[in-house]
Amino acid sequence: MTEFRIVHLIDDTTAGGVMRVLDYIKSNRQMNATATHEVVEMPRSRFSLRRIQADVIVSHLSISWKSLSTLVALRAAHADLPLLHVEHSYTQAFTALNVPHPKRFGALLRTAYALFDRVIAVSHAQGKWLTSRGLVSQHALRVIPSCVDLSPLFDITPVAGPAQTFGLIGRAHEQKGFDIAIRAFMATADADLRLRVFGEGGETDALRALCAGDSRITFHGHVDPTAAYSSVDAVLMPSRWEAFGLVALEARAAGRPIYCSRVDGLLDQIQHGAIGVQDQSLTAWSRVIRAASTTIPVGLESTRDAVSRSDSAFAASWSMLLDELFAHESQEVFC
Amino acid sequence: MTKASIVVPAFNVSSTIARTLTSLLNQEFADFEIVIVDDGCIDDTLDVVAPFRADPRVRVVAQPNRGLAGARNTGIASAKGDYIGFCDADDLWLPSKLGAHVAHLDANPHIGVSFSGSELIDENDVRLATKQTPQLTDITAADILRRNPIGNGSAPVIRRAVFDDIAFVTSADTDRASFFDETFRQSEDIECWMRIALMTDWGFEGVAGHLTQYRICDGALSSATDRQLASWERMITKLEPMAPTFFATHAPAARAYQYRYLCRRAISNADAPAARSYLTASLRASVAPILHEPVKSIVTFAATGVLSALGQNRFRQAIGTLKSRAHSA
Repeated sequence: MTEFRIVHLIDDTTAGGVMRVLDYIKSNRQMNATATHEVVEMPRSRFSLRRIQADVIVSHLSISWKSLSTLVALRAAHADLPLLHVEHSYTQAFTALNVPHPKRFGALLRTAYALFDRVIAVSHAQGKWLTSRGLVSQHALRVIPSCVDLSPLFDITPVAGPAQTFGLIGRAHEQKGFDIAIRAFMATADADLRLRVFGEGGETDALRALCAGDSRITFHGHVDPTAAYSSVDAVLMPSRWEAFGLVALEARAAGRPIYCSRVDGLLDQIQHGAIGVQDQSLTAWSRVIRAASTTIPVGLESTRDAVSRSDSAFAASWSMLLDELFAHESQEVFC
Repeated sequence: MTKASIVVPAFNVSSTIARTLTSLLNQEFADFEIVIVDDGCIDDTLDVVAPFRADPRVRVVAQPNRGLAGARNTGIASAKGDYIGFCDADDLWLPSKLGAHVAHLDANPHIGVSFSGSELIDENDVRLATKQTPQLTDITAADILRRNPIGNGSAPVIRRAVFDDIAFVTSADTDRASFFDETFRQSEDIECWMRIALMTDWGFEGVAGHLTQYRICDGALSSATDRQLASWERMITKLEPMAPTFFATHAPAARAYQYRYLCRRAISNADAPAARSYLTASLRASVAPILHEPVKSIVTFAATGVLSALGQNRFRQAIGTLKSRAHSA
């Protein structure tokens, strides 16, 4: 295969998870063996017919009515190129909690996705939602679970005893549901338990206010993921929606038990060793925290082994997708 | 593949279940199965059910008693249909009901919960004057919380995929999926509908008509008022963390409607102190019912006043006189 130039388009460089996935794509040896990957920032809602020099264009853009004209222009300027879209944001639970007019929103997504040759879901649960609602046709959908560089996490020693220090890791935003875990943690009486909150966000101040008076809970801002995971015995992930769930993948790689809500992409994580919490009530989360503080976690090594395979699966899925696109194209030429 | 399953939870219902099953077997739309969940009956319900099993569409699944939510969960797990309806073993379906919901769900792939209005009937199947005539379209999560347009547990027919999307596993029962929360003995319906509304993008929509006959038995309602209120509040406490802003905005109005409903029930029981205290609680929670349903709210106000002024006995007499006049007219 000749070397391809693959251009990844982004419109939001502050979205931590997406940027880390792209860094991983750029640096992954396997993925760069047959193609060069370049990330191009494309400001939101800028209509441009300027052609991008590439063999394949992969959109990581966020879809909205405002950005629709940008996407139409993108398609028009590259009618001859395979155009892919990775859906990092939208899920069933996102729609339930944030979309006042789901029917109209469905029309937007259907219209936007139809501009792409393939739409890539980042979890099987998200993919199932996209096809079962008729937002993406079965033949256009591919599922490629996200990945980041996990190698430093594999060096951390897995925990071997009951959890005393719990971690909340990620952006402090309503989506992540840190408030649920903090309130549930505060309802536990055990003075020896600790909760560490890593990461910043719009909700940080509100969360600090929420746990005023409970000295067991501490805030640590942004730190290196390895340091964060090493310093906790278990990770809590009470997300309200989650297309993929990077923290669950990382916690599994770090040999930490991960407790997560049963929504969207986290359903995939639960199939691979994450522990699903019954519901998002404080009672359920307090119960989980108490149980985790008295039981020895099992299966962390096998969970970690499964994660180590994600690495090569990610690169293999991308290379398969590219092969398929170009096999299809050459067939068309010869017909 | 069976198109629709109708789940009939049955616990000691020998006096009514025959009428329920007859109404279900009389459905004009014929491609369905009936899953009767014998929820640990200790009366002769099974004897009453026996002749109905001659129809190959009728199945019985037995379990030790788990309550209504647990019986529905078992019914859903065992159902083979794409659509799942529920009919409690004392309620009746009009012959056109299933067909109306099947057509509605077939034509609207984004709708997950299809429901209808209901007539209320007494223990002798006699229609009462009141009907449940809910809002049918443009239903939001806030509408469900405030007014529960689905109305009663025998009104909805629900896409199986909806249940797949809200399934959960409890720590007590790790090898069984739950859909309704079995820790609720009341408010289990609204708790489930709210989870569907807050976790999924499935739409709720009603079809025209009063296609369910929902049985009201005098004794059954009055005693459980406080417990009903407590379970409704527990539903709010359970679900609030899912969407704190939503509940902060809409729970007060929903609570006001809840209290107004309890006030109206206290009025029908001619219990003046209870009616007054529920009315006060409703007004304290929110004025939304007065703004959105002024007539019903003012009537509730007036009736509470009349009941307080006349006292229990004279109020009952007056109602009796009104009823007999209406009857003779």
